[in-house]
Amino acid sequence: MSVRALWVFSHERGDGGGGGGAGGTVCFSRRFPTVERRAKALAGALYVAVPEDGAVLQPLLTELGLSDGDKAFVLSRDDCARPQRSPALELRVQGRDRGVLWPVLALVQGGLILACLVLVEAPPEPRPPLPSLASVSQGLSLLAGLQAFLCGTGAKPDGEALASKLALLPSVLLQICPLGTPLDAPQAGSVAAPGPSGSQKQPAWKPGPHRGRAVASVSLSETVRSMQYGKPSRQDLWDVFGTVNCKCEVEGVLPNVMVTLTLPPNGSPLQDILVHPCVTSLDSSLLMASSVPVPPILGSYQLKEEENQLRVTATLKLHESVRNSFEYCEAHLPFFNRGHVNNVDVKVSCGQLEVSREKSLLVWVLGQKFPKSREVTLNGTVNFSELSSGPRDPLCTGLTAYIKLYFRVPDLTLSGCCVDQHSVQVYSSAKPRITTSRELVSSEYYIWNSAGEAPISSALMVL
Amino acid sequence: MASTNASSWPRRISSFTSSPSQFLSGTTADSFLDQVLHELRDDRISESTKVLLLTPFLEHPTILCPFPAVGEETAVELLAIFCQVPHKSLQLRCQLLVAITSVLVCTSCVSSEVEVAVGFLDLLYQTIQDTNDHKNGQQFYYLRLTACDCLREIETCYPGLLSQKLEALYLLKQQETTPLHQAYSLLYTLALKNAIRLLSLQKGGADDDLKRVLAGNEGFAWKAVETPLPPYPVSSTGQISVVQTSTDNKELKSIVSLLLEESYLLTPLSQATLLRELIEVVAMVQALSPAIFKSQLVRLIGTVEITLLHATLLMKSTFTDSLFTTEDENFFIKRLVSMAQHPLLSVQQKLFYMDCILHFPENRPISSNGEESLPVLVTPHLAASLLPTVFNDSRTMLCRLSLLSLVYLEADENDDKGVGYLFSHLMALHRIVENHGTREMTVTYFKSVFTFLTYFYHNEKFTDDLTKSISELYSKHCYLAPNVINLIDRIQEHLEDPKWSIRLLQALQKLIVELPLVQMNIQNLGWHLKILGRVSQESQVSQGKTLCFLLSVLINTSLCTTGDWKMGSVVLVVCRNLLQHPSLHRVFTELADLLQYIMQHYNDVDIQDHARFYYTLLTNLSREKLSGVLTKGPNVEQTKVRSLSSLMAESEGLSNCLTVQETTGTVLKLTKVHNTNVHRVSQQTDSEGHEGEDVLTFYRKQFSSPGFSSKVILEYHLTYAGDVDVTFDKLFSICLHFDLTDSNYEQVSDISVPCLFRNRKPPVVRVTLQPRQPYPSTLCASAMFTTDDGLSWHTQLEDIPVCFSDVFLPLPVPVGWSQEKREKLFDHLWSSMCEEEPGQSATSLFCFEIGNQELPALIESNFSAYLISQEPEKQSYKVMFFLPPQFHVLLTIANAEDAVQVRIATDNWDFLPFINTYLKSVAPQTPRS
Repeated sequence: MSVRALWVFSHERGDGGGGGGAGGTVCFSRRFPTVERRAKALAGALYVAVPEDGAVLQPLLTELGLSDGDKAFVLSRDDCARPQRSPALELRVQGRDRGVLWPVLALVQGGLILACLVLVEAPPEPRPPLPSLASVSQGLSLLAGLQAFLCGTGAKPDGEALASKLALLPSVLLQICPLGTPLDAPQAGSVAAPGPSGSQKQPAWKPGPHRGRAVASVSLSETVRSMQYGKPSRQDLWDVFGTVNCKCEVEGVLPNVMVTLTLPPNGSPLQDILVHPCVTSLDSSLLMASSVPVPPILGSYQLKEEENQLRVTATLKLHESVRNSFEYCEAHLPFFNRGHVNNVDVKVSCGQLEVSREKSLLVWVLGQKFPKSREVTLNGTVNFSELSSGPRDPLCTGLTAYIKLYFRVPDLTLSGCCVDQHSVQVYSSAKPRITTSRELVSSEYYIWNSAGEAPISSALMVL
Repeated sequence: MASTNASSWPRRISSFTSSPSQFLSGTTADSFLDQVLHELRDDRISESTKVLLLTPFLEHPTILCPFPAVGEETAVELLAIFCQVPHKSLQLRCQLLVAITSVLVCTSCVSSEVEVAVGFLDLLYQTIQDTNDHKNGQQFYYLRLTACDCLREIETCYPGLLSQKLEALYLLKQQETTPLHQAYSLLYTLALKNAIRLLSLQKGGADDDLKRVLAGNEGFAWKAVETPLPPYPVSSTGQISVVQTSTDNKELKSIVSLLLEESYLLTPLSQATLLRELIEVVAMVQALSPAIFKSQLVRLIGTVEITLLHATLLMKSTFTDSLFTTEDENFFIKRLVSMAQHPLLSVQQKLFYMDCILHFPENRPISSNGEESLPVLVTPHLAASLLPTVFNDSRTMLCRLSLLSLVYLEADENDDKGVGYLFSHLMALHRIVENHGTREMTVTYFKSVFTFLTYFYHNEKFTDDLTKSISELYSKHCYLAPNVINLIDRIQEHLEDPKWSIRLLQALQKLIVELPLVQMNIQNLGWHLKILGRVSQESQVSQGKTLCFLLSVLINTSLCTTGDWKMGSVVLVVCRNLLQHPSLHRVFTELADLLQYIMQHYNDVDIQDHARFYYTLLTNLSREKLSGVLTKGPNVEQTKVRSLSSLMAESEGLSNCLTVQETTGTVLKLTKVHNTNVHRVSQQTDSEGHEGEDVLTFYRKQFSSPGFSSKVILEYHLTYAGDVDVTFDKLFSICLHFDLTDSNYEQVSDISVPCLFRNRKPPVVRVTLQPRQPYPSTLCASAMFTTDDGLSWHTQLEDIPVCFSDVFLPLPVPVGWSQEKREKLFDHLWSSMCEEEPGQSATSLFCFEIGNQELPALIESNFSAYLISQEPEKQSYKVMFFLPPQFHVLLTIANAEDAVQVRIATDNWDFLPFINTYLKSVAPQTPRS
């Protein structure tokens, strides 16, 4: 259950300048020699040593399909018979330390590649199945923690913040993984010094004792995804998923907090609940949804070819059960493979229309509210410059096109799930202030052109 | 001696850790270790620098301490430093504990015989005694954490070392209430597991033994170091030895129960580790029922943490139906399926869960060979949520495709709705590639097609459509030729039935030969010819159309006038394949016409020659002889035939003869030729210099001529490396190639050796080195050669060390120089070195003991070529080494009362560690310097 080596590489995609070169640098690396000693003993004659950092990068890039960006086909990278579906990579190291390193786990985010080689605690041949190796999930967990630590929630870490985080890494590892067997994943926040010990054991996952005003806040966040086709032959799809976060800043070693989630009566249960390890008990029989949630906004979109232009018609309708109060609501209409938007003659019944010619994108800003009728329309024509430039997309060719919605509705959940402020019980000496909040946000919310073809987004509707 | 500037340490440490071999080309491990330890002892160095200085021990202890003795010495030093560091320097103290652990474990110094190891273990054990920081205060908190982890790692490396301390460790674990109880729990559980494992390997009743072990409160069990435990069998097939207990062991049961009860207080990673150890404990003790885990299952199966769910899966595979009912199993697999597509989990985690589904340990497995197989419970209905879509990332898409392929392969054969969906997914990918999708998408498409075919190649309804769609795709984007050929090759390797690939090749051939010539540009033609070349390898495809097409291209396009050698050889590949084609007789005339046309009209002489040669073969040889000449592969016996055919292999290089084979083991080695000090100087001036000119000025002037005395020649015997295969008894045209491992030398040119025979004297190889910095180095050598059966081989030789003394040259002065002049030069150089600013040059002293009589012999055997002057009566000598490009090491050696004193002067103080090492190797006894 240990890690042999850990790396952080930075990598420039594609236009690496030199073209085909290494295209990356080592930002951080750490080896664990005592684990390496065990690896050597376990593998016997089949042992392959961890090579120096320079020899790891190139095979890793090849394995991730990131090497030789300028070449269309490279056998070692693109061979169709090489499986590329496991989370564990096999690195073919060349040069002095040649051999095959397995299993290497890797994570790519922004320009960073995080990778580790984990210990195989089994005879190396025949190669044991991945799920039989305890180190694998430990490695994945360590990398995920490292990712959160280095990159935070943002997609791309900026240079300075990253450099300071990298500088902290050795001391973080000294605490959580000094000799290759991790005790914990790196924590994004700072870890407070432990409190004075009492008679009760303190949980190791708790970031230190709380002093000051007691506060317990419960927030529900739901995300709605949808694919709407506007065709009788294709069923529209939508789903909702969400998280309940409970943050308790309460005194005491192990204060108990009980949160009651309520859903209006009769209906289908919430599915596939995942529970944080600090939740001691979960009574899921209570979790019943009232009605099958509806997509909050139903849309229709028609895009037709007319001589030298496109005719655009779109309607969006806010469902009656949804609160008409958005933080923001925008509809994006991108056009691909047609050159730049030239002339836009489009009217909207509500909100404003912004045109980005460079991006060939129409942004329909609906603002905070739909009108009383809860229905808004857009229609008009768009034509394009004959230039071959402009955004391209291999999926949206011909009349395959979509509207993508971006919105956030505060104080709403689509499932009807909610937490009553008075139902939160905290068993602690001081009475805490309790706050609750809810929100609904959209993600991958598409309305496809009903006059064109649309890609299948889920097989469930086909079968 | 000048000390390294403190501010340069971060750079030096990072260059060491990123590439130790590169770093050590400029210094020795020995001297680096000395420097690091020296700095660590220095009170003026900041704590953060010292923490940094310890990283080499954390990462590469065996490079710094190559031998146990050095490891032991280093551990002693580090431990002494630890004792002197103030308590407030917390990070440094923690880092020191980790460094000492790494050094001791990696140099195999953990033993009761090694005093420092015993002392260090006692220190660790003492450190963890202070539970809840009652005695020493909170500043020891992290030190205890580190000490626990060091002990845990040592126990992992030497299982059983703590097996006599279980009760003591248990009490510590119970007392601790700060979050550190986690580290104590893990340490205790590991020790418990190892102790039980030791018991399980003993014979006989174990009831009392178990009691005794649990109540253990003694010293370290050093015998665990001497007889290491065999590893715990991880796979389900391995037999686990069991502790035979006759009675219900209440004590152990309550220990395990308590550990489980408190496990939720641990971080997920540690919890998973703990569970894993407890699974092994319960598996090894018969009296413990797996049902002990039951109370944890609901919590574990509902978890978001990958490590915990994984631990549960390992539990399932260890205990199967003695812990999981059929219902539990059903629930578990459903859970895995939903986790494999849960929107809140990362891609890596979901891929892992799909892997878990394919290796799910069923209660009633149909086969248990450890290979991928689909659990019976995974029905098409259950798996439908895992169907791939174009919105997935590539890895997920491919993983889902192969999982679902397995599902539908085992499902009802009459219902191919599911397979139909997978096929429509391929078509969706096809459209993306057709519309200039990214390279990644293209590769994913071909991988998907390959996967689909390996499962459903028998379903002609789909494979026919696939043939059609791939040839359509090719007609639009012929640059996909390499991908298409790769797909065909791999499919032929993986499937016994080549039908599909033949049909695809036929379709592609038809498509190409029917293309209108006006649309043909030279680039597209290159791809088409590649495809036709592949088509011509297939005996089942008739080739008439290909030939007509080629002839018409040659006649009707500008290929003959504008095509280069490469294009021509692609055409010839087709011709060559056709010469071997079984239906050659049907295309005989067309092929002859084509070859004749090429030899008369193609714009490249080499191509013309080849075409003529093929033409001659075609028209003069019978079919049997023709195939005899052209057959590829190692089964052809005669060398001549093979070389003939290899002539024709063209750029495709498919022939065995042109392929360079890699030897499996080492075949050759280079061994140093001794006593060849003589030929080392490459250049000597004849001019004696002007009368009256200062010797030093003259000497220095010599270097203004370029390349003066800049090279060193090393001599080696090229010999066989031990007993090698008889194939290699006679080697010809050996080309030795040398790669540098650092930047201290100029590139070494290749060396040719005509031949090497087993029973003849080994040839001498002269390697010319031109130093930039005359440091010790290592050369990587490889060789290409031909064996007498005509095959070419490539082999790696053992690395060749270049020692410091290898680069020594005698003083580069004119041959005729008198003794007096040489001495004068020596004195001038000596005084100039001592005068110059410190840092630029150095003098040092090295002493060793030797008997009175031995010094002259020692001088004679080691320094004779470099001797400047000697006064044997006084036992005083002057020696000078010249090191290209322009460095000097001057020695005055004198036998003082009880020891030989070597005074050293040099114009490059970086040499000192090397000089030291060299003199140590020369001196007969341990020096006292």
